[in-house]
Amino acid sequence: MRKKLIAGWKRAFGLHFPGHNLRVFPDDIFFVSYPKSGNTWVRFLVANLVYPEKNPDFSNIDRLLPDPEGMSKRDLEGAPRPRILKSHLSFDPRFPKVLYVVRDPRDVVLSSYHFDIKRRAIPEGYPLQEFVSRFVRGELAGLNPRYGSWHDNVASWYYARRNDSRFLLVAYESLQSQALEEMRRIATFLGVDGNGERLTFAIEQSSARRMRELEKKQGHLWNSTRETQLDKPFVRAAKSGGWKSELPQASVAEIESHWGELMRDLSYELSTRDLVPAGVGR
Amino acid sequence: MISQIKFAFKYALGLDRAGNRFTVFPDDTFLVSYPKSGNTWVRFLLANLIYPDEVVGFANINRLLPSPDVLSRRFLRKLPRPRILKSHEPYDRRYRKVLYLVRDPRDVVVSEYHFNLKKRYINPDVSLEEFGQRFLQGETSSYGSWWEHAASWIAARQGNPAFLLVRYEDLLADSIGETRKIAKFLGIPAEEERLRAAVERSSANRMRELEKKQADQWTGTKNTRLEIPFVREAKSGGWKEALPAPLAEQIEAAWAPLMKVLGYELQCRQKEEIALPAWVRSPHLPQVQRSR
Repeated sequence: MRKKLIAGWKRAFGLHFPGHNLRVFPDDIFFVSYPKSGNTWVRFLVANLVYPEKNPDFSNIDRLLPDPEGMSKRDLEGAPRPRILKSHLSFDPRFPKVLYVVRDPRDVVLSSYHFDIKRRAIPEGYPLQEFVSRFVRGELAGLNPRYGSWHDNVASWYYARRNDSRFLLVAYESLQSQALEEMRRIATFLGVDGNGERLTFAIEQSSARRMRELEKKQGHLWNSTRETQLDKPFVRAAKSGGWKSELPQASVAEIESHWGELMRDLSYELSTRDLVPAGVGR
Repeated sequence: MISQIKFAFKYALGLDRAGNRFTVFPDDTFLVSYPKSGNTWVRFLLANLIYPDEVVGFANINRLLPSPDVLSRRFLRKLPRPRILKSHEPYDRRYRKVLYLVRDPRDVVVSEYHFNLKKRYINPDVSLEEFGQRFLQGETSSYGSWWEHAASWIAARQGNPAFLLVRYEDLLADSIGETRKIAKFLGIPAEEERLRAAVERSSANRMRELEKKQADQWTGTKNTRLEIPFVREAKSGGWKEALPAPLAEQIEAAWAPLMKVLGYELQCRQKEEIALPAWVRSPHLPQVQRSR
């Protein structure tokens, strides 16, 4: 009872994390993605683009681009506007303007796997194939059921908003292969000055090498890496296509047979196209 | 300050309105639809099917097929499980088993317009045309636009064995057949007799009678303009007379791909090639009849 009263007290005074029940303002901009889709990288890119004077790093990124699931209602409502918020939530019609970052699920699952080992959600040496099956069912240890499966999260946003001018879809892969062009699109969408110098600065400040250095210095301070195995990096390979060498063939086939349609719609080439049997249930 | 303290106590006791703050259990089933898509009708159908010995009406429907929007978290927690709950939420990852009811948006807008007049959400001098513009933008409902609602659910879940898509129009045309399908999905015993009784007890006429007697006992109709009925025409295609042609055209232009997938015949853009979204091409779509 005492615990409940404290929770009620916190709610009444806005000290709880609102998460899904966030109060949304009409000028809010949301940066949304499924977990392990390059979220932190894009957070750095956007923070360095919009707030270069704040020297974004792991110590202040949670305040510059706050997550409604990690900041109190009161602080969120007191944050300077327009706010840029970060979220992993699936489709929410109240989010007015949404930058959605999508990543190849075959790489997402690898990244999740390593991250879950880092934070001890699964033991070292946990069978990868087993992990992929759970990922496909949307049952990841630390992530589910808050965010649903990769498919459901991406599909709910993509199909609800794809033709909407308030929605910008950016692929992690093209952000890597043509950072400057994609950053220009993002700048235009966010309504910030996107001259070449500013874009280049933001990209350099958010390079994998610089983020690795920052992680070494600040990893023990940041919410997402604190109390995890610090010898395992959060900023890992920072590349795309790692699945081709790391993911068992059977796992690739499993992902593609369940989510092939959506992947094809997002222009992710399938490697087992002929193996996809018609009528397989998700 | 006082109201905040009151809320703190209410919350601690679980007496605050649940909204979407309640705990979802893995064995829950949700009846989900965009507002004004036949949700109340299906609630009556299900309640009559599950509780053949109860006299289902507006006075007890919130108890028999509860809606988290108007009930407390404690009430929801104490319900016997597995629960069947009604919801208007757009895609919610926590809902595992979902019966999704969809209706032609051209009929939805007409129904929502009358309901908004009834509820005094809009002034009596607002025209359907004006209302329709806001409807298209998703501004008439806190659940998003019709497109966002239907697309988020169908794209995320179509093909999943725990998702059943039902068209309001099919339910009208073949009430017993569709109810049988729903009963099977929900695992409710459905002998012909019981199906027939449930459909009869949920007929528009009977619901109109009940509304006359119990309008003041239900959250949906309490304190509304009683001269405007809640159970209105209860048919499909009413938009052909009621909807101004330009508005119908706008709705079709905006939402054609999804309407086409759902088998809603387009009047204005039939000849144009429409790019269909991925889930149409997906092998997971046997349940949707593409043309009628």
